[in-house]
Amino acid sequence: MAGQTDMELIKNGIRKDGRKPDELREIKIVAGVLDNADGSCYLEWGNNKVYAGVFGPMECHPRHKQKADRAIVQARYTMAPFSVNDRKRPGLDRRSTEISYIVSQAFEKVVMVEDFPKASIRVDMQVVEAHAGTRCAALTAASVALADAGIPMIDMIPSCASGKINDVVVLDLNKEEDNYGQADLPLAIIPSTGEVVLLQLDGHLTPDEFELAMDLATSGCMDLYKKMRDALENSYGGKK
Amino acid sequence: MSGESSVTSNRKLVLPGDLIETKSKPGKGIFRSEGRIHSSVVGYSSDKSGYINVNAITGRYNPKVGDKIIAVCAETGPSIWRMNIGSSFNSTLHHSESGWKVPFGDTARFLSIGDAIWAEVSMVDASGSHQISLKKDDCRKLYSGNIIKINPTNVPRIIGKQGSMISLIRDNTKTRIQIGQNGYIWIDGKGDDIALAQEAMETIDREATSEGLTKKIEKLLEK
Repeated sequence: MAGQTDMELIKNGIRKDGRKPDELREIKIVAGVLDNADGSCYLEWGNNKVYAGVFGPMECHPRHKQKADRAIVQARYTMAPFSVNDRKRPGLDRRSTEISYIVSQAFEKVVMVEDFPKASIRVDMQVVEAHAGTRCAALTAASVALADAGIPMIDMIPSCASGKINDVVVLDLNKEEDNYGQADLPLAIIPSTGEVVLLQLDGHLTPDEFELAMDLATSGCMDLYKKMRDALENSYGGKK
Repeated sequence: MSGESSVTSNRKLVLPGDLIETKSKPGKGIFRSEGRIHSSVVGYSSDKSGYINVNAITGRYNPKVGDKIIAVCAETGPSIWRMNIGSSFNSTLHHSESGWKVPFGDTARFLSIGDAIWAEVSMVDASGSHQISLKKDDCRKLYSGNIIKINPTNVPRIIGKQGSMISLIRDNTKTRIQIGQNGYIWIDGKGDDIALAQEAMETIDREATSEGLTKKIEKLLEK
């Protein structure tokens, strides 16, 4: 977040990539793309490309992480070395560890973990192309993959960010807006109850702007939820 | 699954979290929230004899006592075998349930890693662990043949009405076939016959929701 910038990211209510302030990037979701996973999903969100695979429920390793009364969700978020402009060093870093952790926490809220004592549900998310908003994209893809794996849960969780550019609150920041904008607010909700399972904020927002950003991100999540449902219905023949 | 009319047209596809309007008692694949019933998995809802169920389309095998299954040895202990049955956890086969006289520490002589058996689920407990037995009816070790794995929810489709589909495959390929409830299928016969039977079963698994499957399989087997 540079905070101050001369760059004109939004002009007369139209952003640099031609979107309106409350418009999402183009999204494509396909469920069941990986043969060896129990459930999987491929997601394209603007220029973001993410694969998610779910393995389990299965016996939890290492043993000391087992919970006697419930399952744990072990999420793993990784970015491919070629996913960004400058080659990213492969492997875990501070950022991916954090995202893996918050995604695990979010899923433990919706997955019926008490149905599978001592088990672990592995959720692997691989970003093959990154263009801002990959944690939201990864979480959304992982949600669809979990449903595809037949794991019982309360609801799928869509995730979408809003932010502030040139003092205007907008939905779904792209790379430029993320780098030169003033704030970024990723949000994930349970659509049926409206509960928040993930909320982060990077940058500065006034209380009023925060409310507006929350409303915008929530409506973005609801739009996304419809697309996730369509993806699953397509893959299971609910839609003709 | 486009084009063809679907056998599922009279049932409704539900996704996790979907509200189900019903007066029936809750069965499986659902959860209750604020007195209302929601689906917890991707599946088809069915409202039969006073119970509402959602039959999941995907997911791992959920063992039930009495199920006949095919198990593959994954690990040997001094007096037990750990068998892979395609569920969340490996199943235990105790030496006393094997029907063999096993000296302590000599389990691998009877069943080593990769060996398959035709067995029955004898116990399932609340914590999700389960045991299988070789001492029932026609349970035995499986020699020769191939094992293929399909989605356990498609097992009824492979068998067909009163076994119509499976006898069609059996008669046309001259193979011996045993279908486990866990979606593991053992096929024995000549190499080409096994390959044909396998192709037929994989087709059924892939297109389980489409109609006119019997005709399609007949055509495939005639080749």
